[in-house]
Amino acid sequence: MMHCTMDDLLALRDGEASVWARRHVEECAACRAELDGLYQRVAQLKALPALRPPRDRWGVVRDTIVAQRTQRRRRWAGYGLATAAAIVGLMVLGPMSGNIGIADELAQAKQQSAQLESTLQDYDPESRVMSGREAEITARLEDQIAQVDGRLADLDAQAAREAQLVDLWRQRVQLMEQLVQVRVTRARYVGL
Amino acid sequence: MTLSLTIPDILVARAKAGDLEALEALYRAFETPVYNLARRICRTSEDAEDVLQETFLEVVKSIKTYRGEGHLWGWVRRIAASKAFMRLRHEKLRVTDELHDETAGGPPASVGTRIDLERAFAHLSETSRSVVWLHDVEGFTHEEIAEQMGKTVSFSKSQLARAHARLRGLLLVEPEVS
Repeated sequence: MMHCTMDDLLALRDGEASVWARRHVEECAACRAELDGLYQRVAQLKALPALRPPRDRWGVVRDTIVAQRTQRRRRWAGYGLATAAAIVGLMVLGPMSGNIGIADELAQAKQQSAQLESTLQDYDPESRVMSGREAEITARLEDQIAQVDGRLADLDAQAAREAQLVDLWRQRVQLMEQLVQVRVTRARYVGL
Repeated sequence: MTLSLTIPDILVARAKAGDLEALEALYRAFETPVYNLARRICRTSEDAEDVLQETFLEVVKSIKTYRGEGHLWGWVRRIAASKAFMRLRHEKLRVTDELHDETAGGPPASVGTRIDLERAFAHLSETSRSVVWLHDVEGFTHEEIAEQMGKTVSFSKSQLARAHARLRGLLLVEPEVS
């Protein structure tokens, strides 16, 4: 006589069993006992005492939260500085007649950068669930952007050559594009 | 483990605003259930502690996206399960999972000895433990487990059947040999 498999028993428990299994378990005492055993095992699993963390980790968690907030504030301060530098750059380079080509490129790169900033804001980066890998990529990209912003701020103070500024702004646009891509991919995948 | 955690809306609102006291209150409310879930899945208590920490940092980062639909614990435990699986993947335990399952499948104590459920459960592979715990205790669906593990629904179902067959065998009272 054929008996219920574990798949059959689980399907019976979950109300998804075949007609054969439902009929069989009514007639077969051994399979009814197996089904009872399954119910008991699950009830016992649910009744297992909760395992408690051996150490209090709140201190570590709190310190990490505080450190992340500080880092975030610094990063956004860096973005603000870069934006200010962009405006000053436009005011200085705009009127230069001999450098129209470069000035246009610079303005274009800054405009792209601003658009990407806006796109990034739409994805609200501070409130999304991220995997460890995504968080790592994001942190790396944000650090690189912060470095570029720092160099831009230095160059602006030195009245640097426009070509250097254009190059840095292009780097910034590329990094921003990658960062936006990470956010867009995550938003599509998770649906947040 | 059955939970009936009720978190006041005002506490969630304060946590969303970044209030550290509110975040600590949430941490205190969920630290044991999160650790318990993680410990049932992870191999060591250190891993489970790390999962607890990573889960809560994720909760802090993402709590603004919690819309109040469903129990907060349901939302937190999805993050916890995700972090636990991430840790398993990170440590490449899956590579040796099958081997672990086989070695764990041998008699855990002397033949003819009945072992308790806790020990029998601990003898399952990480995958089997995860599926049994998440499905039968935490109430995850096979679809949710499959999504978390990056596997199919049929994989989750077959793992559950396999795990119960293993548990049944481990818990069986062997007849005394005279």
